[in-house]
Amino acid sequence: MTTAVRAGLRGRELVQGLTSLLGASKVLGTREDLILYEYDGAVDTATPDAVVLPNDTADVSAVARFCHEHGVPIVPRGAGTGLSGGAIPVEGGVVVSFARMARILEIDVPNRRAVVQPGLINLHLSTAAAPYGLYFVPDPSSQKACTLGGNVAENSGGPHTLAYGVTTNHVTGLEIVLSDGTVVRLGGKAEDAEGYDLIGAFVGSEGTLGLVTEITVKLTPLPEDKRTILAAFPTMDQASASVSAIIATGLVPAAIELMDQLATQAVEAAVGAGYPLDAGGILLLEVDGLRDGLDDAAARIEAVCREHGATTLRRARNALERDKLWAGRKGAFAAMGRLAPAYYVQDGVIPRTRLPEVLRTVREVSERYGLRIANVFHAGDGNLHPLVLFSDPSELPRVHEAGLEILTACVAAGGSLTGEHGVGMEKNCYMPLQFTPADLAAMRRVKDSFDPAGLANPGKIFPTPSRCREFQLRQATPR
Amino acid sequence: MTTLVERARPNTYHECARALASASEQKRSIRIIGAGTKSYLGDLVQADVVVETAGLRGIVAHVPGDLTVTVAAGTPLVDLQRSLGEHGQVLPLDPPHGDAATVGGIVAANSAGFRRARYGGVRDLLVGTTTALADGTLAHAGGRVVKNVAGYDMNKLLVGSLGTLGVITECTFKVLPLPAAIAGIRASFSRAADAFAAADAVARTPARPAALVVDGVAGTWQLLVLAEGEASAVERTLAIVADAAAARGSAERDADLERTLGPLRELPAEPEGVLVRASLPPAAQRAFAEGAQRLEGFTRLVADAASGTVRARLLGDDDDMIAGADALLAAARVCGGSARIERRPDRLRARLGSWGDGDLPGLFLMRRLKDAFDPHAVLEPGRGPIR
Repeated sequence: MTTAVRAGLRGRELVQGLTSLLGASKVLGTREDLILYEYDGAVDTATPDAVVLPNDTADVSAVARFCHEHGVPIVPRGAGTGLSGGAIPVEGGVVVSFARMARILEIDVPNRRAVVQPGLINLHLSTAAAPYGLYFVPDPSSQKACTLGGNVAENSGGPHTLAYGVTTNHVTGLEIVLSDGTVVRLGGKAEDAEGYDLIGAFVGSEGTLGLVTEITVKLTPLPEDKRTILAAFPTMDQASASVSAIIATGLVPAAIELMDQLATQAVEAAVGAGYPLDAGGILLLEVDGLRDGLDDAAARIEAVCREHGATTLRRARNALERDKLWAGRKGAFAAMGRLAPAYYVQDGVIPRTRLPEVLRTVREVSERYGLRIANVFHAGDGNLHPLVLFSDPSELPRVHEAGLEILTACVAAGGSLTGEHGVGMEKNCYMPLQFTPADLAAMRRVKDSFDPAGLANPGKIFPTPSRCREFQLRQATPR
Repeated sequence: MTTLVERARPNTYHECARALASASEQKRSIRIIGAGTKSYLGDLVQADVVVETAGLRGIVAHVPGDLTVTVAAGTPLVDLQRSLGEHGQVLPLDPPHGDAATVGGIVAANSAGFRRARYGGVRDLLVGTTTALADGTLAHAGGRVVKNVAGYDMNKLLVGSLGTLGVITECTFKVLPLPAAIAGIRASFSRAADAFAAADAVARTPARPAALVVDGVAGTWQLLVLAEGEASAVERTLAIVADAAAARGSAERDADLERTLGPLRELPAEPEGVLVRASLPPAAQRAFAEGAQRLEGFTRLVADAASGTVRARLLGDDDDMIAGADALLAAARVCGGSARIERRPDRLRARLGSWGDGDLPGLFLMRRLKDAFDPHAVLEPGRGPIR
């Protein structure tokens, strides 16, 4: 029960088969090439048997058909920025890189839609739409690198999803390739389609239902103006209590981000965003929309923060200052290198009123395990990102252990294992913490409807007997 | 011959699941009724068992600071809104039949209202569900948090499923604080093109009106806009609408716009008429409306111009209505949208099916899903487009 690799074409023969199918320019198969595809933004690794670089949907369909015929797992890969091992071929097989399918096919201004290929970088879409006064709302912190195909697979969020929703709220059309090579077009530029919402089921399915080859998204009119506020508090408790208090005034800001002192120190060293280093907790808040009323809203937010003990309140006076404040937040994960050689980031979600207590649990876990944990996260959504810092791979079991305790606390508080990073191969063993066997059986019916052969990104989302046995045994032990 | 229809009125989610399992085992067909407000949807046939959700009632959890509410699916929307209102909150759904419809029925029928323009539709607000399945199990999906990607988003499959995959027993929604200010404005135009051009001009701004509605009868087209939010932003939105209308028509504030919008949400067909509902790419609405008003029997068109949801009503000679409905279904399809017949007189049922030619993109996947969740095909036969 050590290896999960199933029967089917593998290794050299697989590479040769794909090369005769697509031509040598679209296939990588040497060891030096393959090891570049064995990792993503998370901590797990596995080497693919082959990597293909399709030019178009027909290539993707041909590869899928070939894999189906020969019993080979097929795993899509965007930029490899994912944080749950979504792009890792845990059962071997073919990794499909969308690096060559990265074009904007259409910016349809009258319909406020864009049609794009999956390898397109998230930020490039908003940059291209900006001259028309439009943008694509979901803005993951990795938006300078991550792809739209990856965003669809993971149902990505970002700091600005509190008011405007995550990826699924902005996708109206998909072209997908099933694991048997069938090409299916779903939806289009209209918001609804008759029948079941297959787009809704596909977004966030992490490559386990098929590969996406074309995406139609909504574009949103750019806000006329924004107000961005930095509020620094002596303690995390004060900062997190302010979040619920702001919501209670009736305001729903576009973004409410929280950072603790450890994260602030790393960010300041790396980016120099101007965050106060002595603060226990820092909130970054933004309101946007029509210019009218923004100053009032900002003043109300500042008043609430002051009541909750904010020691520093700073409002960005111009776009340059605003960008600097955001550069700190968006560069926070990368800045962790200043603190430790490696980190393991969790993505649990909790009802936002439970923030203070769950953050105390995180601190307690940190002390008990002797692991430093930095917090930088989407407080408005209740979406935590504890970054467990470590130095050496030998520490990983303990790091995972600490992460699991935090996730268990999130689920116990009525929350979720993951808010935007996905389940992948990182948390699939933990799914029974949140879902009953009947819940998972219902999801399995969806999986089997799209991918009866089980070749689409196997070993993800669902607990697998081989990898999850140890965890299951532990959970079954009476506590 | 009259058949005896069995009625089940479960008081718990498990009772509901058991009722489904027992009917499914006996291959007895099931109809699901909340408040029964949308029995006109689909091509219903007589069922053996009627499952009423009225016994599944009440608010399960509401922590105002979390901006979520969990509610049993048989709860009427008005009851939910009243309870939320006591905490200064609202579920920003204003569907047709909002005075009677239950939460579960609204989700199952994807019954969005005009406020979708600002707040999103059912699929955007629903974050968790519990569903009784035909095998007698209860499946939970999503949760009570606003952001969640653990596992597949099963909630989305239920929105608009019309009860064909299971009985929704509980829903969790995102809710919002009641807006500080609400105001309305209406503008009148003589041509459909002008009304839609004005609507488009507003939609292209960052104003995000709460409702952006075009209401037309031959020769008179109105743009009805509801603004909600901070008082100064609401005022500015009305000014933006007045501006957009100025070149082509005239605008005036309407303090009572909500009352005008009420009946437009369902645009009830005359008992003798046909009602077509289309979902269109936003920019196609204008041509669709211009085409619709040239049809024999055209009487009225109402569009949620922000989302491209258009309802058109036809009245008159049977052959004209059928030809008109077919023309509208085709028009929706050629511009990349889709449409269905939402209402028609009983005598036309055989000649005018609800779903046009029924050739949906991905239909084979929908059939597999239907088979997986309802292997004996007992749930709501005839209701949806998948058969």
